[in-house]
Amino acid sequence: MTRGFALLLGLVLCVGVGALAWATEGFRVITSQGARQLSIARHPIPVPNVRLVDQDGHTFSFADYRGRTILVDFIYTRCPRLCGVLGDDFRQAFSRSDAKNDRVAFLSISFDRADDRDTLRFYADRYAAKTPGWRVAMPCDAHGLSTLLQTFGITVISDGMGGFVHDGTIYLVDESGRLARILDPGTRIAAGHP
Amino acid sequence: MTGIEAVGSRSRINATAAVRAYLATCGIVLLLMMLLGLTMRLAQAQWIDVEPNLFYVVMTMHGAGMVGIAGLGGAAVMWHFVRRYVPVSTAIFVANLVFFLIGAALILGAGFIGGFAGAWTFLYPLPGHSGGLWSANGAAAYMAGLLVIGVGFLLLHLDIARGIISIYGGLGAGLGVKQAFGFAPEKDGPPPAVAAATMAAISNVIGIVVGAVVLILSLVNLYAPSFTFNTLAAKNLIYYFGHTFINVTIYMAVIAVYEILPVYTHRAWKTNRVFYLAWVLSTLMVLTVYPHHLLMDFAMPTSILVAGQIISWLSGLPVLLVTAFGALTNVYRSGLKWDAAAGLVFMGVAGWAIGIIPAVADGTIPVNSVMHNTQWVPGHFHTYLLLGMMAMMLGFMTYLAGPKSPSHLAPAGVWLYLIGGTTFVLAFLAAGSASVPRRYAVHLPAWLAYDRAGSIGASLAVAGALILIVRFLVSLRSPIDATP
Amino acid sequence: MNTTRALVPVAWGMLWIARAPLEHEMALHMAVQLPLLIGVGYMLATFLRPYEPRWFAESDWLGIPGLLLVVFATSFWMLPRMLDLALSEPWIDSAKFASLPLLAGLPLGSSWPRMPGLGRAFLWANFIPKLGAIGGLYLAAPTRLCAYYRLDQQAAAGIALIAVAIVLGTCWSVIVFVGSPPFWSRAGIRRQRARHEILEAGE
Repeated sequence: MTRGFALLLGLVLCVGVGALAWATEGFRVITSQGARQLSIARHPIPVPNVRLVDQDGHTFSFADYRGRTILVDFIYTRCPRLCGVLGDDFRQAFSRSDAKNDRVAFLSISFDRADDRDTLRFYADRYAAKTPGWRVAMPCDAHGLSTLLQTFGITVISDGMGGFVHDGTIYLVDESGRLARILDPGTRIAAGHP
Repeated sequence: MTGIEAVGSRSRINATAAVRAYLATCGIVLLLMMLLGLTMRLAQAQWIDVEPNLFYVVMTMHGAGMVGIAGLGGAAVMWHFVRRYVPVSTAIFVANLVFFLIGAALILGAGFIGGFAGAWTFLYPLPGHSGGLWSANGAAAYMAGLLVIGVGFLLLHLDIARGIISIYGGLGAGLGVKQAFGFAPEKDGPPPAVAAATMAAISNVIGIVVGAVVLILSLVNLYAPSFTFNTLAAKNLIYYFGHTFINVTIYMAVIAVYEILPVYTHRAWKTNRVFYLAWVLSTLMVLTVYPHHLLMDFAMPTSILVAGQIISWLSGLPVLLVTAFGALTNVYRSGLKWDAAAGLVFMGVAGWAIGIIPAVADGTIPVNSVMHNTQWVPGHFHTYLLLGMMAMMLGFMTYLAGPKSPSHLAPAGVWLYLIGGTTFVLAFLAAGSASVPRRYAVHLPAWLAYDRAGSIGASLAVAGALILIVRFLVSLRSPIDATP
Repeated sequence: MNTTRALVPVAWGMLWIARAPLEHEMALHMAVQLPLLIGVGYMLATFLRPYEPRWFAESDWLGIPGLLLVVFATSFWMLPRMLDLALSEPWIDSAKFASLPLLAGLPLGSSWPRMPGLGRAFLWANFIPKLGAIGGLYLAAPTRLCAYYRLDQQAAAGIALIAVAIVLGTCWSVIVFVGSPPFWSRAGIRRQRARHEILEAGE
């Protein structure tokens, strides 16, 4: 055992602990989703003013919501699994929300380029979504979609059966149009909060 | 014998000093933990006032401390004797004691400063759900303490396994598997101390690494509560570790019987095919018996519970039978002169044998579902540990103290320990059969008679242990050469 | 000798070329690609041993710093977040391809021989159950840990890790339980001789 041993050991410990601390945001997260959640909570980011088209065929953009909080989820209308849970959750929360209270809006965005106005309408009817309180929408163009996916940090992968695998996460865009919170995966808002 | 002893005699003086250090630690901690136990009984008897919150801290510390020194005392017995046959490292043996002391400091801090009172079994997710009674740091200190102690024991058992492999070629040979199945002559088999140490190494290495897994998962959960895992799986892992560790202590301590009785009777301990077969079977069963701790968990697959029930009926029996039979034949008409050490060691075998009876009852599913949360269970494991395991360890201590130490008090210590301990465990068992629940800080008036009888028994047992331990500590003044 | 040396860059390059199919499946990513990258570094270490600086060999007491580095590097690249980043960020994947061989495989190859048997046993005893536990967590996790892998791929990765742990555990148990027969290895012959001497001295 030499003095070099202590030095080398110290070096390895510093580098190792430092690297792990970097990768886990100070030992708080182990997944990329968790890291993203933490970073958004600390530094909300502005949502680009992407134009979308809703189930009624009207176009709108995020700027139209200034002054209101939006709960956003990402879906595709053919989804046999998760989107049903998300849709039910939004329906319950939406039906309970006061029609006059327009401080909170709901927005379901399809990431499937195969969706069109008819399928959006179909999805909206299935869960009793009504504009302008709850829009079921898709970006007007492919560029808008990729901008949104990037901003919200959404990874959509194939489920190997013609559909997609995605997170059933709910995002909160605040009154000034910033992505301010990513709710824990599995959080159901109909339970009361927020 | 001299040639074999030469194998491990590189630093003989240090080795004996290390064993003395182990036993001194065990003696002092044992006394403190017995006093904690007495405190609980006195509180239940309503002879003293203890805040319920403090009661559960005391219960947790008593459990962790007793399991810890049972392991440490067993290790001291095992190491002292096994090094006559295989090369082992004194440095690792001492390192284990250092790890133990660091871990014990963490655990005591967790309990008496951090207020951790989640029972020594730290059942997930309890450590993280204290209801404000203790902090995450308190629970973490407790579990980190267990981890540190585990590191020491893992190193110690691996080192002994390495030593056994270096002489016998493999752990199978160390256990006497070939002799057990008749593939090799009985006379070439390993000595009993080696077979026992092999079994302890196999069981504890597996048990400890399983425990480390669940401890690390629980620690992650403490600080990242969103990370969860299956609670039933956690309970399985915890009892795998906990059961194995505490069960193995008696298989380490029993080496004292194999090595000390022959010194008194001047007869070698006879090993034969049945002896080795018993050790092989008990090894397998110690590794598979833990489900008997989960008999009340209805979500467990029935087949596992039934297997747990059957194995728990059988698991201790093989080694117990060969040891009890061996002890009786070794002693019978040997003309041995009984003294405190021989008496304690012999009492250990008897206590172990008697302790099996309530264990078999509790291992039976219909009985368990009625009895498991009563004082029957502490009755069972106190019989086994206080009158069995600890008696063997105290016997070893008394034996090491040697005849030069003041011996006129020793028999009194043994008798006090035996009578007090018996009263104490009988009070538990009687209360258990009257359905007095375990782990209650405050008792109903109807239960006080049991608690008071138990308190009196416990006081006598503490007094007996005090005599034996002080006698040992006094003997430490004499130079090391004086010890046998 | 030169052909075997050439194996290192060839294997390294082939793994780089094959990274898309290997990273497509979580099980292959974790149980095949990462170990093979470590293997490349391990091979490299066997060739570089003659050139190892003396100060390093002396400072790497019992191989502890080196193997600690291995533990850190492997833990780092097994984090679900790093698996994700390796797929989404090409420069992170490049960093993985450089650091696993150089910071995990190379120190493993150079420090492992310095570690005494007891230390190796300690590492095996800790590594095997933890690998199995990570596998168990992946298998049982109700949610996806990686954004780029489906739940079924995650479960398959869990099974793969458990399988590796079982295979390693079985091999290790057999070796310590049965031991190597005396005629089979030099260590066995040495042991046989030692035991013989002890028995003779005892009589």
